Amino acid sequence: MRRSWVAVLLLVGACTGPVRSSEVYESKAGQTAETAASAVQTALLAVDAAKGSKAFGRYLTQVLVQAEEDADAARGTFAAIQPPDQRADELRGRLDDLLTQATGTLAELRIAARRGRLADLPELAEPLPEVAEELDDFAEAHG
Amino acid sequence: MKRFFAVALGILTAIGGFVDIGDIVANAETGARFGMSLAWVVVVGVIGICLFAEMAGRVATVSKRATFDLVRERLGARVALVNLAASFFITFLTLAAEIGGVALAIELATSVNYLLWVPIVAFLVWLVLWRVKFSLMENAFGLAGLALVVAAVALWRLGPDWGGLLHGATHPAVPEGEGHPTWWFFAIALLGAAMTPYEVFFFSSGAVEEGWSRADLITNRLNVYIGFPLGGLLSLALMAGATLFLEPRGIQPGHLSQVALPTVLVLGKLGLAVLLVGFFAATFGAALETGLSCGYSIAQYFGFQWGKFVRPADAPRFHLILLVSIAAGAGLVLTTLDPITITEYSIVLSAAALPLTYFPILVVANDPDYMGDKVNSRFTNALGSVYLLLLMVVAAATIPLMILTKAGS
Amino acid sequence: MAGRVLDAGLHLLDRQLVDKDGRLAGKVDDLELTFPEGGGPPQVTAILAGPGALSRRLGGRFGAWLEAVANRLRDGDDDHPARVPFAVVKQIGSAIDLSVAKAELETDRLEAWTRDRIIGKLPGANDAPE
Repeated sequence: MRRSWVAVLLLVGACTGPVRSSEVYESKAGQTAETAASAVQTALLAVDAAKGSKAFGRYLTQVLVQAEEDADAARGTFAAIQPPDQRADELRGRLDDLLTQATGTLAELRIAARRGRLADLPELAEPLPEVAEELDDFAEAHG
Repeated sequence: MKRFFAVALGILTAIGGFVDIGDIVANAETGARFGMSLAWVVVVGVIGICLFAEMAGRVATVSKRATFDLVRERLGARVALVNLAASFFITFLTLAAEIGGVALAIELATSVNYLLWVPIVAFLVWLVLWRVKFSLMENAFGLAGLALVVAAVALWRLGPDWGGLLHGATHPAVPEGEGHPTWWFFAIALLGAAMTPYEVFFFSSGAVEEGWSRADLITNRLNVYIGFPLGGLLSLALMAGATLFLEPRGIQPGHLSQVALPTVLVLGKLGLAVLLVGFFAATFGAALETGLSCGYSIAQYFGFQWGKFVRPADAPRFHLILLVSIAAGAGLVLTTLDPITITEYSIVLSAAALPLTYFPILVVANDPDYMGDKVNSRFTNALGSVYLLLLMVVAAATIPLMILTKAGS
Repeated sequence: MAGRVLDAGLHLLDRQLVDKDGRLAGKVDDLELTFPEGGGPPQVTAILAGPGALSRRLGGRFGAWLEAVANRLRDGDDDHPARVPFAVVKQIGSAIDLSVAKAELETDRLEAWTRDRIIGKLPGANDAPE
């Protein structure tokens, strides 16, 4: 019984402690970018739906809230991973920049949707396509 | 004329009742990740479930006994016990997933957090199983589940590149940038979702519940051979929607709201409303069926009275099992484990347990003691054996692939 | 019943017991064999049903667990599994038809307890399915 607990602890530790191989760190960074890109693209589709006034405000708000939560969660999980070396630090910095842009805009969209200001959504979402593209490029380069 | 309506009702109910939360999640996630390249798995799954559901229905109709009942007689107490343990566990997990699915569907409609709905959903599921007549329950939720047709309507309205979709479906190939193991893992999950074990015991027990007799054999066949494939088409409509809208943008649907996006973008508010009804009906209906199946499997193994065709007081242990299973299923969802994750595990583990649950049916359907002259034809046996072989390969590959691909991430 | 040769394992064990009203009354979990006084082969004198009987046949860890469950569920200090005397067996076909009602059998103990203590107390338990 004792041994399995040790194994669990090791596993948990391995998830958030220093990642030995910088390749593993890089691929985790890539996955995080992918997840964030998915959230950003979801938000863009929701904004499309808002433009055509194709959906209930409630539904759109849920989509945007969930997109923001997904991006935030991905960011949080990645931030908890200890970067193994200096090169990883740089990677971390770049990704964090992109994630900050993404989550910031997603938060604005969420706030506007909750307030029922659906007409404002397209304008607020303007930075997103570029962020999405950069996240995609990042994911492709490092995934 | 009346006969025609009865048959039509049966078919429509079969179509609407085919899709459950597992199919919704599996088809949307697969379409978003792999396009139509795994559509063939749905076809394989539909053929498989048609084959075995017809068998199970025939067994129950001719022998007047349900599957689990006969499994113990034919295969012995020990083998049947292993079968029971695996089947019950999977069915219970599926029940929890369906309860979660209903809560998610209501959350999508009301914006009230799904966790608050879970106890209410559990109570309603139990109440319907306690009070509502079997055929009424089946017909109501089966027909309401037809609302999911809106996903297909959205496709048609969109007027997509059908050629491209068809090409993707008929030329199965692992897309660029994705690994083969992951592709196969999703294939297994899709098969597990299409051939979920509970459907067979539910179908056979349902035949006894509704008192089918030999005269109903043709109806049984029509319901299965027409209804299920059309239901499979609904699954594929969800896959195609994800292929057209989610895949090009790299969106991985982890929420029911994302699964709804294609329909919303094409059909707007009305489409969404109808889709929500469909989600609710499909998941609630499946919750009823999996709940009942939990009771059927245990009661039929131990031999005590089961079924909704008797008063609850005459089947107390059966109803107790229903009550406890539903409560425990709700409890699992209330641990805040993501219902989508529960669903994913339920379909993958279903795939691992498929040969265990289908093998006894093949055995029983060949027994002249029960079946008289209605034993399996040679063709049915050949096809059934091929499928069993396939299911054993799938079952063997499931856990290794799950570990290898880190559950498809 | 005289004159028919049956394979007890094949035709009796694990069969469904059906009472005179068509209700399901358990399975043949085990058989009670008694050696007749004047010598000769053992006779099947009763059918044993219920978790206590099944646990002995299954053996192993699950059997032991089932036996423990069965002991908890039995009231009083009778420690034998529920017994259906062979005399009430009316017909042996694909199921075993009995000539008495379920309620008169020992095997109904657990069912009756569940009905009286739990299910019977819920509103609508006695309503016939419409």
